[in-house]
Amino acid sequence: MYNKQIELYEPYQGFIRGNMFPSLFDQYGRIYDVKPMNEQAELLTYIDIFDFALIDIGLYLDVHPENQKMIELYNSFLQEKKSILKKYEENYGALTMDSNALNVAPWNWDNNPWPWEA
Amino acid sequence: MWKYVKKLEYPVNIQKKDLKMAKYLLAQYGGPNGEFAAAMRYLNQRFTMPDERGKALLTDIGTEELAHIEIIAAMVYQLMDGASVEELEAAGLTSHYVQFDHALFPVDDEGVPFTSAYIEATGDYLADLVSDMAAEQRARVTYENLMNITNDPDLLGPLSFLRQREVVHYARFKELKEYYEEKYNKRSTDI
Repeated sequence: MYNKQIELYEPYQGFIRGNMFPSLFDQYGRIYDVKPMNEQAELLTYIDIFDFALIDIGLYLDVHPENQKMIELYNSFLQEKKSILKKYEENYGALTMDSNALNVAPWNWDNNPWPWEA
Repeated sequence: MWKYVKKLEYPVNIQKKDLKMAKYLLAQYGGPNGEFAAAMRYLNQRFTMPDERGKALLTDIGTEELAHIEIIAAMVYQLMDGASVEELEAAGLTSHYVQFDHALFPVDDEGVPFTSAYIEATGDYLADLVSDMAAEQRARVTYENLMNITNDPDLLGPLSFLRQREVVHYARFKELKEYYEEKYNKRSTDI
């Protein structure tokens, strides 16, 4: 079981499918691209993509904790996500309340947009 | 504890007002197979999982379901935003308007309020996991039915994403159930 090779989609392809694992993918209808409407939304989509890979690989690892390769991949995606998140927060404000981007006045946590606002 | 991340797991940007779809989407908000029920089900069941794998998986899927509640809520909110009383009436949402105006409220598409009876926690890990697998299948079917009644890609994108998550969650619950059957030498069919 150690270092078992499991095929994965590229992060964007996994994200738009809602599934990082080709072996589990169950298509229904077509696959929809995510089309960000501005620069901010585009950068946020990059975070979404890596966050999604982390969520899906994380669930896999919960049930397959011995897969060393997958743990390495998880951590490399985590580093990528952190660097994109840093860039996003420097430009557009904090996404979480433990962000360094909150060390500015006026308080920027209440900046728009909120996630449900298109 | 939980921390809020100020973004959706999958983006929602709906251009076209479709109040009938707002009404039907409530099925996956406060309905028996909806995201509220899913989040509460796993986050209650996780306490009595027998080992670390189960506690981790139910915590993480339960947490993801919280993000799905937010996606459905964002869809309903955007579809209903700015709708007049007349428009709500034409979509069969007058009762919703009378009680809740444009607020989000966990009811299903027929206005039946969310009930904790949907949560299904038994304290028996195999019974719970079998129930979780079935719940993921029921939610998958509900998403397919929702996808069958719209042509709007702004709705189909997030619905297709959410449907696929049910497929993945089902598979992980199944793997955990089979692992437990082996580990504890117990078959769910023996119960």
